[in-house]
Amino acid sequence: MTDPSHVAGAEAFERLQCQWCQSMNEKAALTCRACGAPLDIRNLVSESGWREAPRIRDMTEIQFSSSTCQVEGEIVPVAEINLGANDSIFFEHHVMLWKDERVPLTVMQLSGGLKRAFAGMPFIISVATGPGRIAFSRDATGELVVLPLHPGMELDVREHSFLLCSHQIGYSFIRIKGLTNILFGGQGMYMDRFITTGAPGLLILHGYGNVFERRLAAGESIMVEPGAFLYKDSTVTMNVEFQKLGTGFFGGTNMSLARMTGPGRVGIQSMYVHHHTD
Amino acid sequence: MFCGNCGSPVADNANFCGRCGGKVAAPAAAPQQPVHQVPAPVYQQPASPSAWQQPVQQPMPQPVYQQPASPPPAQHQPVVSSPASTATAMCQWCHAQVDAGQLSCPMCGATLKISGPMRDRAGWSKVPGRKDMAKIQFGNSFCQIEGAYVPVADMKLAPEDKIYFTHHVLLWKDPQVNVTVMSLKGGWKRLFAGLPLIMTEAQGPGHIAFSKDDPGELLPIPLQPGQAIDVREHLFLTATNSVTYDWFQTNIWFKTRSGDETETYYPVGMFMDRFMAPQTPGLLLLHAGGNVFVRELAQNETILVKPTALIFKDPTVQMHLHFEHPSSFFSSWGSWGNRYLWLRLLGPGRVAIQSVFERIEGESRNMTNYSYATEMRW
Repeated sequence: MTDPSHVAGAEAFERLQCQWCQSMNEKAALTCRACGAPLDIRNLVSESGWREAPRIRDMTEIQFSSSTCQVEGEIVPVAEINLGANDSIFFEHHVMLWKDERVPLTVMQLSGGLKRAFAGMPFIISVATGPGRIAFSRDATGELVVLPLHPGMELDVREHSFLLCSHQIGYSFIRIKGLTNILFGGQGMYMDRFITTGAPGLLILHGYGNVFERRLAAGESIMVEPGAFLYKDSTVTMNVEFQKLGTGFFGGTNMSLARMTGPGRVGIQSMYVHHHTD
Repeated sequence: MFCGNCGSPVADNANFCGRCGGKVAAPAAAPQQPVHQVPAPVYQQPASPSAWQQPVQQPMPQPVYQQPASPPPAQHQPVVSSPASTATAMCQWCHAQVDAGQLSCPMCGATLKISGPMRDRAGWSKVPGRKDMAKIQFGNSFCQIEGAYVPVADMKLAPEDKIYFTHHVLLWKDPQVNVTVMSLKGGWKRLFAGLPLIMTEAQGPGHIAFSKDDPGELLPIPLQPGQAIDVREHLFLTATNSVTYDWFQTNIWFKTRSGDETETYYPVGMFMDRFMAPQTPGLLLLHAGGNVFVRELAQNETILVKPTALIFKDPTVQMHLHFEHPSSFFSSWGSWGNRYLWLRLLGPGRVAIQSVFERIEGESRNMTNYSYATEMRW
């Protein structure tokens, strides 16, 4: 099934609107310049309302401020950034695949960051500044989710899921509230929060397996396996609930599911590898 | 030269016909010439850095390393057959000269006519798309590569052909294919995932198939006589028996100390495999995780790569550790917080990396000593 809602108005302008990120593109463009989604393929939406994140074609180029990002490979894609002179991006240091020697690296100052550790390593957000090239990839099969962020957006992302983010976007992390959510939420204690300031920016996530997105109406809710959660608008609330699975004999067992309540977007991944924060 | 079987023209250096698959007998007078006509520089021990050492375990004479044809950068663009006289094309992946009429390289199975950019802006080439079920020939045998996600190398061995492999990659085989333990000269005491490494050998005729348990790519690497390649350990899938196998110490290590405990880590492995085709061309198959990218470094050109992402390099490429310290306002962060560990590769030659890599063990510990390394403080 395709999503007809975004197509109609776009033709009139002689411009193409990307169905994934809603950016406008030149009519001749094959892929969206802001998010890399193929423009000749319509949204793939399941009957239950989940939209498949676009498979970015090999070697697609994406532009943000004065930099470009080229996405390479389809099994475990690599995001290769050619940084413009005054651009910088930030990332968790362990996702770097290769870089030019001359690209400077700095460390982002985070309040409270020392308390967080990633698999025994201190949690450090590194910053690379242009000009020069640097490339990133993750440790398992999946896809890159390119989310151009416009001013006024606030996005919560499962911890250790973001690959890189451009410097226009503010980064912080929030502690997940409630012991149930921490213990049974399947995603640890923290969530990364990305907030746009005045300028648009680019956020690239790595989802394990395939990624699907759904927009919830106000008050609409859906139960999600906590491990599958990838990102949500900060307007969406998340609460872990238990579902009793009775066996008819003694006890039975509990299953925890996260209730996501709208309004806003929810993104899930079809396979998950969780990196626990201690 | 023409195929003795079907009469179609074949390249002078082909060892089989691209059209009918028949074996092309090399003319007795002219022994098999390597594809790369560049005057063969003898593989020399690099003068510096000192950490790079000629492997001492090398039982064979100094390998004569045939420089892979390094065309001027302009020629690196997607290979299209020049419409003019010669009508040969160069396979982008293995650099073999093949008949321009072919759709895929008979040496390595790579698609020859590629639309779209193969080479990214930074100079890495993606391994060319290989059509599912692409066929490669070696001698009178075939190898078909099946599946795109976790590919299988399905071999149809001719009676006279032999291949060898590590036993855990075997997927299935015909009952009549004879598998024996390969007799190994010299130091075969390497540990392979905690077990003694056993190299097994399969003799045709019959089918035998291999795969590894990771999503990734199969890399067929045809080796020309005299050509050698260094491969990070545990990536080897199988090779024809015309390819010799050897190994050397990487001499890339660092030592850590925590209290009284010291430990030594080898970010690219303690050993590296060296495969070489001494007399006749051979085929080497590797399996890499995720997607694979290759680039050719010019003389003294450098690149920093994640040590665990390295797949292979030409023996002319030198490597050593590189520490990078990002600038930071506070440095009281323990010894390591602002230190990234890289592998610095120094040309000339090819290097290949994979997009999936393990975390470097011990990177976060307090280092007391390490092999030759360069350093950058921002």
